[in-house]
Formats: sequence, C-alpha cells, structure tokens
Amino acid sequence: MSAKLAASGLESIAESLLPTFLYNVEIMSTRDYLGEFEHIVVLALLRLEDRAYGVTVRQEIEFRTNREVSIGAVYATLDRLETKGYVKSRLGEPTPERGGRSKRFFRVTAKGLAAVNRTHYALQCMTKGLDLVRS
Amino acid sequence: MMSRASSIQPPRIAAWLVGLFTPDQETECIPGDLLEEFSYLVSNSGGPFARRWYWRQTVTTIAHLFATGFRIAPWSTGAAVVGGYLLGGFVHGLPDKVLSAVTDRYLGYWSHHFKAYMFWASDGMWAAHLILSVFVGCMVALAAKGREMVATMTLAIVFYTMVGVGYFASVGKHWPLDLTLSWMLFQCSGPFAIMVGGVLVRTFRSAARARPSGA
Repeated sequence: MSAKLAASGLESIAESLLPTFLYNVEIMSTRDYLGEFEHIVVLALLRLEDRAYGVTVRQEIEFRTNREVSIGAVYATLDRLETKGYVKSRLGEPTPERGGRSKRFFRVTAKGLAAVNRTHYALQCMTKGLDLVRS
Repeated sequence: MMSRASSIQPPRIAAWLVGLFTPDQETECIPGDLLEEFSYLVSNSGGPFARRWYWRQTVTTIAHLFATGFRIAPWSTGAAVVGGYLLGGFVHGLPDKVLSAVTDRYLGYWSHHFKAYMFWASDGMWAAHLILSVFVGCMVALAAKGREMVATMTLAIVFYTMVGVGYFASVGKHWPLDLTLSWMLFQCSGPFAIMVGGVLVRTFRSAARARPSGA
C-alpha cells in the first residue's frame, strides 16, 4: 500500500518536472548561442523595431554601451546573423542625404528570437547564485 | 549654415578605400550609412571632427570587411591567394630568362652598348617585375570575384612577410645599408604592385556594375 503511494507520488513529481526537463534538454541540445556582440546587435534590433538600419543600430549600441562601434563591425555581425537565419533584411528607398543610396533595414526572425532567449537562459543559469556586485 | 554643412564632403581617399573593400551586396548601405552620419556630424560637431570620425570608421570598417571576406569564402579566397603565389613564382622568373636569352643572342650588340645593357638589367628588370606583379594581382582579383582586395592584400602580406623574414635571416646581417635599402625597395614594390592589380580589377568591376543602373 505504502509502496503504491510512493510510486504514485514519484509519478506525479516526474509529470510536473517533465516539461522543465524537456525544455532544458531542448536548450542544452541546441548549442547555437549568440556571441557577445551578436547578442548586443540583436537586442538593438529588437529595441529599434522597424527603424533598424546600419546608422540607428550603430548609434543605439554606442548610446547604450558607451563604446565606439564601427559600421563595418555592425554589418559583419548582421551578415553573419542573416546567414544563420536570425535576422532578415530589405532595402529601403534611396534618400538624398545618403547620396541617393538605399538604407538596408533589418528585423529579427522567430529563430533569432529563440536564439536570444536561449542565450539569456544560459546566462541566467550561469549567473544564478553569484554575487557579482561583491566580486 | 545647412547648405555649408551639406557642401562638406567626406575625405575622398577614405571614401574610395571603403568602396574598394565593400562587398557587392553592401555597396549601397555601408557608404550610404557613413555619408548619412558624416553629414549629421558636420552640422552638429563641425567638419574637422566629422572628418576624423570618418577616417576612424574607415580604418575599423576595412579591418572588419577584410576579416569578413575571409570568413564568408575561406576556400575560394585561399585558393586565389595560393594560385597567385604559384603564378608569382612562375612569372617572376621570366624576366631573368628573357634577359639571359637576349644577352646570349645579341652579345656583340650589348658589348658595344654596355650602358643600355645596364639599364635593361637594372631598371628594365624592375619595370618588368612591377608589370608582372600587377598582372599577378589582376589574375588573383579576377579569381576572387567580389573579394578582390581581400585576396590581393593577403597575397601582398604573404610576400611582405617573406621579405621581412629574408631581411632578418640574412640580408640585414651581411649586406651594406645602401644595398639593403635598394633590395628592400625592389622586393616591397612587387607586393604593392599586386595590390594595384587588385584595385584596377575592383575599379573596373565597380564601373561595369554601375553602368546599367546609371543608364
């Protein structure tokens, strides 16, 4: 009787932990995390929404991280993210202040959003319990 | 004030350098983004500050574009560089062979025109060396379509490294200074001419690409 109870208790615990376990397995099995600068660029795209192109992304990163970023670094990262399917781009209309050249607008894809979440989760797991302020 | 600000153009050499290294798919956006921010900085912080900013952006952007060029197509770029190295090794021996053949054939003529022979053997050889280096640069740039400057610069860096190693290994220790300097000048002009070949091909390709859209 007690053995039956214990078995059913274990079963219910297993059932409650299963979604978390599966989520962790899924996260651990997908090793594709964002690099530091990739992470920053994707977050800038998410902040800028439909205004995200080279100039605004560069300025947003400079403004929020207080470090000078080259336009080449931004495009190198955006191209890499586009190759991975994390962002998509489209050309805008040519404008006179750009010498008649077009803007290239970027947006984050669902796959990119999942990669940001995965990276955040990994960082959270790694920082959990650490007293970073004191250290 | 606004018209004065908008009349100030970014440094021409910097803009040209960015254009050389920008990949085909980004010829619109990278120079356009730089120009847009430059115009903004001119009206807010003044021309000198904006020009300094443009040069800083140019240097760091070129460094990133150079690295990205390799990352995107490492094998084809590497193959173009190796091919260029082998081609360089083959063609740079040609002037010596031609000189030997011509000297043997017209020995009597050269003995009466020794100054002409000396000119041909020194300046003529140097000119041939430069022309062949430009040729090698053009071939490498044609092979590395879209990454002309990345491939030719890499090949030039390989040759410059070899010159440096050669200098420290033997030349610098044993040769007098004047001979060493002329040797360095001769050896360093070749890799530079290879990059000139890359610039030529890139410029012609850009002009050819711009023509249909401009029409």
